[in-house]
Amino acid sequence: MAITRENVEYIANLARLDPKGKGFDKIAEDMQGIVSMVDQLQELDLGDITDVIDTERKNAMREDVPVPSYDKEEILANAPSVECGGVSVPRVVE
Amino acid sequence: MELYQKTAAELSAMLRNKEVSSVELTKAAFARTAEVEDKVGAYITLTEEKALADAAAMDAKLAAGEALSPLAGVPVSVKDNICTKGIKTTCASKMLENFQPPYDATVMDKLNAAGLIMTGKTNLDEFAMGSSCENSALQKTRNPHNLDHVTGGSSGGAAASVAAGEVSIAVGSDTGGSIRQPASFCGVVGMKPTYGTVSRYGLIAFASSLDQIGPFGRCVEDVAMLTDVLRGYDKMDSTSYPREYESLTAGLNADIKGMKIGLPKEYFGEGISEEVSKAVLAAAETYQQLGAEVVEISLPLSKYALPIYYILSSAEASSNLARFDGVKYGYRAESFDGIIDLYVKSRSEGFGQEVQRRIMLGTYVLSSGYYDAYYKKARAAQRAIRADYAKAFEQVDVILTPVAPTTAYKVGEKTADPLQMYMGDICTVSVNIAGLPAMVQPCGFDSDKLPIGMQLIGPRFGEQKLVNAGLAFEKASGLSNIVAL
Repeated sequence: MAITRENVEYIANLARLDPKGKGFDKIAEDMQGIVSMVDQLQELDLGDITDVIDTERKNAMREDVPVPSYDKEEILANAPSVECGGVSVPRVVE
Repeated sequence: MELYQKTAAELSAMLRNKEVSSVELTKAAFARTAEVEDKVGAYITLTEEKALADAAAMDAKLAAGEALSPLAGVPVSVKDNICTKGIKTTCASKMLENFQPPYDATVMDKLNAAGLIMTGKTNLDEFAMGSSCENSALQKTRNPHNLDHVTGGSSGGAAASVAAGEVSIAVGSDTGGSIRQPASFCGVVGMKPTYGTVSRYGLIAFASSLDQIGPFGRCVEDVAMLTDVLRGYDKMDSTSYPREYESLTAGLNADIKGMKIGLPKEYFGEGISEEVSKAVLAAAETYQQLGAEVVEISLPLSKYALPIYYILSSAEASSNLARFDGVKYGYRAESFDGIIDLYVKSRSEGFGQEVQRRIMLGTYVLSSGYYDAYYKKARAAQRAIRADYAKAFEQVDVILTPVAPTTAYKVGEKTADPLQMYMGDICTVSVNIAGLPAMVQPCGFDSDKLPIGMQLIGPRFGEQKLVNAGLAFEKASGLSNIVAL
């Protein structure tokens, strides 16, 4: 698969990364080589192995019982910006 | 012999015999650290004050005769991607440089309950993505055997702390070789346990289906002792395996007569240095002399392990690291224009280059139009790799291989070319893909006096076979408890 600069910018946008960010040109440059490496997998013929569901494991569920959560102050202590007891972000709805 | 040169098992015996106190051991650990840390740089954060207080409390418990684990009072270092309540947990990233977790990881609860004394948080490649520890945004760690060389990674700080005698044991994590390859480069013992045996609750996720926490030590017995502390079912980790574990330490037995050891021919060919191959094949001869049966086997899909690994691990990483958005915790860009720009700038400024590279690859293989060709195919190939191993373990008890194509290379030698760095993981990644346990220990030195490691791979829950085979080789070779610097 040929990786163009356009592809790279499209993927960066999906991943919320800045294609104009510091050092990103090197990442864009390395992508082709890395994709060619993982492309080796395409030559592998897996025959009838297509099932990707892991049959060995079952979903592990806990009882739906309310338990005390972490202290709000402690959680918010790690937030970059806090207002009125909540995390603050720029205006989302005009 | 100085205290810092002793194994955890020896320190444990001294504590029980009242020859030394935990406070004395902890002081000795920090004295050794003060002596070598400028050169080695194993730690991101040292927690000396807390460690001394914990050790004093442990001494009081030991004096009162409280029933504690064999490792109670012994200092241990912890990789800085394992959450420690109120103590910075950075993942060696600018993104989490100031993050103080509000909770302890389950393995921290286990270490604390068993009475071990944490000395600090060790360096790693940012978010555990890397194979040399050079991707850390916060610290430079060097190989104690030669300071111009890398430690390996990602648990480079953990391996270096043990190799340099700063501690006798350490806790790391392994997603594609992150315990085993640095153990090999630094001449120590490290084990990646069976997936699901050690709780991942509180381990900052890189690739959840491959990540596993595990121990480092300078001898097999110490690794067995620390594994006994770490493993066990945890309801907080939905991939934790609900089963009981018998003590590996109690089961240690160096008599391996009749054990069948497989040498996969794919691991001794092109790309593996002659010195490494030779040392591992010499270990196979030692096993024969000890009464084991060595047979050649084949793991035909080995050549596809690297693409499978980089697809699966990067896909999971791109999903796991989506949570770092500059909103709830972690780094937030100083200036931005609206919410999307806040996400983009915070992530681009907070993540280093390798982390962004993995997120890019992961996003690509999961993106519309490519998912089937990459991610889905890699998941199907993962089943085929598991089947390969299952077939091999019908013939043999354990598999013996090299750990990495070379010994520790020079600092800066591979940083320019990520692909060359990825190639170094060729011998370790398939173990994570298959969810198996594997242990690494020294089996010789190269012409530059750098350690060469060997890898023993076991069947699922086959840790006892690994430590027994490892112990037998350790006793026969005398390659044990190697302290550098």
